Amino acid sequence: MSKLKETILNPIFRNNPITTLVLGVCSALAVTVELKGALVMALSVTVVTGLSSLILSLIRNTIPNRVRIIVQLVVVALLVILVDQILKSFEATYAIDKQLSVYMGLIITNCIVMGRIEAFALGNKPLPSLLDGLANGLGYGLILIIVAFFRELLGSGTLFGIPVLKALGYPGNGLVILPPMALIILGCIIWVQKLWNT
Amino acid sequence: MKTNGNTYTVIYTTLVCVLVAAVLAVVSQALKPRQEANEKAETVRQILVAAGYGEMEGWRKADNTAVLDFFNENIVGNPQILSTSQLKAQNYNIKHDKPLSLPLYRFRNGITVLAVYGTGLWGPVWGYIGLEEDLATVAGAYFDHESETPGLGGKIKDDPSFRASFKGKKIRQEGQIEFDAISGATMTSRGLDDAIKNWISAYQKTEL
Repeated sequence: MSKLKETILNPIFRNNPITTLVLGVCSALAVTVELKGALVMALSVTVVTGLSSLILSLIRNTIPNRVRIIVQLVVVALLVILVDQILKSFEATYAIDKQLSVYMGLIITNCIVMGRIEAFALGNKPLPSLLDGLANGLGYGLILIIVAFFRELLGSGTLFGIPVLKALGYPGNGLVILPPMALIILGCIIWVQKLWNT
Repeated sequence: MKTNGNTYTVIYTTLVCVLVAAVLAVVSQALKPRQEANEKAETVRQILVAAGYGEMEGWRKADNTAVLDFFNENIVGNPQILSTSQLKAQNYNIKHDKPLSLPLYRFRNGITVLAVYGTGLWGPVWGYIGLEEDLATVAGAYFDHESETPGLGGKIKDDPSFRASFKGKKIRQEGQIEFDAISGATMTSRGLDDAIKNWISAYQKTEL
């Protein structure tokens, strides 16, 4: 049981896919301007990593070894398109999906998804694979939300679109909205993480 | 189980592809009406912004029915809302001198909104341009795209100062509107320029 607990907690903190493995950084820079977008992206990636790990773990013994990457890609692409289609179908999420534009489709190329399938799901039973996938998605989401929190608060002075610093007369900071600042914040988080891990 | 033979691999991949395609087809058909309703409301939002009724941020907060109600109350006549694929069909007709039925929205505040459609760098770009009563001065504009690069070509939609820069511009000869291109997004800017030129001169021939 403690092994399962470790499967869940390890990717979220100690072995975080972004800060320790430095995977999925590209999308982390792109979608963290606002908390809302970051939250939807985090949930979408969590669903995709979790379900793709589960499905591929279920069929892992039937996949021909020579085409395994292609089969993984097809399953991941299927899930990403499903998530995208579902987000487009609801009024509440349509605008966010439009705002995330190409990054939604680019979940397919997120290294975390394929990485977890190759490294974990193809060699483990369905339940641990599902948990590993979900936990990696959550680990990714946690960093996304921390970065988006600082960028939205210091960039636009709002949180989830509600004026916080803006209400106190804060004019906003263009540099924080641009991608370089995301890299700097991410660098600081990795720094703290390294101090904490050693 | 022997999973490395050629026959097995071919049959397996075929089955996976057919199965995945079937799932996607079913889901796409099931969700289509909802997506079309959302897209229609989005188009109406863009038309309203081009017509000078508030900014996009405000319209995002209003739900689909409220947006459509406001549109129906303020529109003159009953023009059809064209989807982007219908705009694409009209764009083909413009290029090949075929009979046109271009969308035209006249509002109670005196502003007439025209559509434009063309090709950016990665995919289609389109938009709506509102004209004052003289049908020569731009009152407002809103542009959208399918897959331009965020931060470069994507600015035609995301940068409010870009669409604001159209305000007060005059339509010049052959339907041209002079605007500042976005640096780093030459192809998108050029595509948008062509879209405006082709469509407005087509409007000038038929309706205005």
